[in-house]
Amino acid sequence: MSAKPTTDTMILDRRSFLGGAAAAVLMPVTLGFAAGQADAGATVGAYIRIDASNTVTLITGQTEMGQGIGSGLAQIMAEELMLDWAQVRFEHAPVNPALYGLPGWGLQLTGGSTSTMMWYAPLRSASAIAAWRLRAAAALTFGGAVEQWTLAGGGKVNHAIYGVKTFASVLGKVASTPVPASAPFAGTKRIVGQRVRRIDLAAKVDGSAKFGMDVMLPGMVFASVAHSPTLTGTVKSCPAKASGALAVVNLGNAVGVVASNTWNAMRIASSLQSKVTWALPANRALLDSGSLASAAQALQAAAAPANLKVFETVGSPDGKTGAIDATYVAPFLAHACMEVMNATVSVTKTNGLVTLVELWLPTQGQSFVPGTVRSVPGLANLTDAQIKVNSMLCGGGFGRKIEQDYVLQAVKLAIAVGKPVKLTWSRPQDFKNDKYRPYASMRVRLGGDANGIGGLVYRNVSASISFQQGANPEDTGAVAGAVKLPYGIANRRIEFAPLPTAIPLGYWRSVGESYNTFAIESAIDELALALNQDPIDYRLRMLGADQRAARVLQTLKASLRYTGMAAARRGVAFLKGFNSYVALALEIALDNVSRIRVTKAHYVIDCGLVINPDAVEAQMQGGLVHGLYSALYNRVTFANGVPQVQNFSNYRVLTARDMPQVTVDILEGDPATTMPGGVGETGVPCVAPALANAYHRLSGTRVRELPFYPGATMSED
Amino acid sequence: MAQISFKLNGVAKTVTVDSSETPLLWVLRDQLGLTGTKYGCGIEICGACTVLINGEPEKSCDVSIGEVAGKSVMTIEALKTDPLGARLQAAWLEHQVPQCGFCQSGMLMAAFGRLKAGESRASTASSLSNICQCGTFQRVKEAILGLPGIA
Repeated sequence: MSAKPTTDTMILDRRSFLGGAAAAVLMPVTLGFAAGQADAGATVGAYIRIDASNTVTLITGQTEMGQGIGSGLAQIMAEELMLDWAQVRFEHAPVNPALYGLPGWGLQLTGGSTSTMMWYAPLRSASAIAAWRLRAAAALTFGGAVEQWTLAGGGKVNHAIYGVKTFASVLGKVASTPVPASAPFAGTKRIVGQRVRRIDLAAKVDGSAKFGMDVMLPGMVFASVAHSPTLTGTVKSCPAKASGALAVVNLGNAVGVVASNTWNAMRIASSLQSKVTWALPANRALLDSGSLASAAQALQAAAAPANLKVFETVGSPDGKTGAIDATYVAPFLAHACMEVMNATVSVTKTNGLVTLVELWLPTQGQSFVPGTVRSVPGLANLTDAQIKVNSMLCGGGFGRKIEQDYVLQAVKLAIAVGKPVKLTWSRPQDFKNDKYRPYASMRVRLGGDANGIGGLVYRNVSASISFQQGANPEDTGAVAGAVKLPYGIANRRIEFAPLPTAIPLGYWRSVGESYNTFAIESAIDELALALNQDPIDYRLRMLGADQRAARVLQTLKASLRYTGMAAARRGVAFLKGFNSYVALALEIALDNVSRIRVTKAHYVIDCGLVINPDAVEAQMQGGLVHGLYSALYNRVTFANGVPQVQNFSNYRVLTARDMPQVTVDILEGDPATTMPGGVGETGVPCVAPALANAYHRLSGTRVRELPFYPGATMSED
Repeated sequence: MAQISFKLNGVAKTVTVDSSETPLLWVLRDQLGLTGTKYGCGIEICGACTVLINGEPEKSCDVSIGEVAGKSVMTIEALKTDPLGARLQAAWLEHQVPQCGFCQSGMLMAAFGRLKAGESRASTASSLSNICQCGTFQRVKEAILGLPGIA
């Protein structure tokens, strides 16, 4: 079986998502049973391990960082093996992109809401093949033919004469069975589509779950870092030692401090920051948010900005856009994972040469770790077998833990001190040295009548991730959410002009849709209001033949009857993205200091085949929170290269009192024909436009620049 | 160097530390290997490091080990030993509360401390100040409000 995307249209292609970071070549993936690979012990193929107690473990390349992917993929496996859910486990795979990389991309990483959509078909096939081989192994072990053995449920096989046998009892013969190209599916829907309990949660309520930060090794020392106060600055010289530190290490982009505990390491690193001589970047205008905003304005006004790329041009929109000419702005944002960047590394030397680098990482970018290790002087020739990666649970990822900066620092520290090292960034270092969600300015020129949009000219001016990485100059990710719109717009032009900047950029949950959907869905709402049209009806009228889109919006309209949201305080938005469809209606009120509170929120999602409805609901609830605190409160600004964010004190997020009741309608496609769409990111993009749309109705004021309340702090009401 | 004696999860404990100023959080994590208590912000905002000290929820990032001398500390690892704690954990699973789970130790300890001290479920559910970046608040509230047998 060769690798191919499991859906007709991958909205996010690998190239646009990763830009120049992706060095790996798209490679064929042998699913489940790598040619020539012997079944070691109780492993059935590459993905499934069965132990003597008949526990069945999925070995997955996808990182569990809160989205429930370990359990979701295990449900797909359990379905075809007809397992009881209680006997199912999952664990993170070693780094081996050929086996464990995303089938559509050939890369072992977790992002773009791709895990379920890319793995569903191949994992289902691999599990069905495993089931067939277990039946064949039963025939070899006890007698009879494979056709006479059936799956009996609960990790057992059954034969009319030989009776019921466990998978565990036939494992000795699995290696002797042939590997069929395909096998029949059980397809009983006993587990897929069910609200099974997540496998990883029991350990997350008693403190036993092991995140990257929780790794403890014998003889381990603790480290932290201080980066240049000015972004991209490097160490020119630093003190060779510091009182209380076991070691001070020049890491190039930071000074590392090794100490007897993390607290010592953090405070000594902090105290060293002013004692380091930093080499600062020459052009700090590229690192200044005020200068960048002015540059973006100029690029919006220019007839032909440098590197302008036109993504869609259909009909002749010019002259048909008279109703709205509005510029929307989305700020730089931090990822703010609850678990700060951290990495634990142990280096083994033989005869003075490094022969093994073992890493324990919270990472969503496994594919890139070996290259990171080999980039350290002296480690260039390590083989794959000499680089062992243990992927730990991530305490949030949101795109940040694809990056390798913290991994590289930990490897350098372990080499320098010759002991196992756990590196933990302080929270201020984490905020101030993020790979920030790009700033985006989006000018929308729009015209139309009650029947729909007559013309759309859209220009996104944003800091481009892939431009910065020197690759993929088209940067389809920059306009995601503004192209391939669900609406029929006969005359349109969608442009992108990259905003030159040196601010480190990274992928942030819901990527391009996190800002383009804000602009598009706000502007359509402005037009609907100007034309005195109902915002849902107006969108419905423009949908054309997309039945899934229509069904989602019609369901949202019907939901208004039972969610009871006041029309004068209600806003809606719609997203077609990540191979899913999401509509959101929310109701707001103003609190005693005239700030927005969301009082109700209702999502309608069609994400195709649903693996676990409870997990979909959890992602909508969480997406609302992520979208809400970002849109209401946050931006990261830079003064001549110095990030102005400190900690959660001036990066306000939500707490329980701010949480509205979120309700969700999940529309299921036909299970026989529908493939899973993305879920993890789809709850975020509609929040900001729905908020702005609701606020416009409530107050008469249109908010086009996020956040609503810049400078909000955690302590105020 | 300093020696500090206190009660940890019901057991008498004496630790030797470089400095009695070392936050309890880092003694628990780095020295005693009790990694269920998390570092989140270091400035008493996020609540990921919440433990009980003499029954009160406290943010252990800003309590020095010296301050807990002679006191009783309870961490997430011992929550199941209290019947209310065990019920709270069961409710968390019933409602499938955690996503990444990183903040949940602190969330549970903060909720437990308040409920154990007699605060109502409604007050506890609506006023927990712990940060959760996955956005599990709705389920946190539902789990607390659904606890049977208390006010």
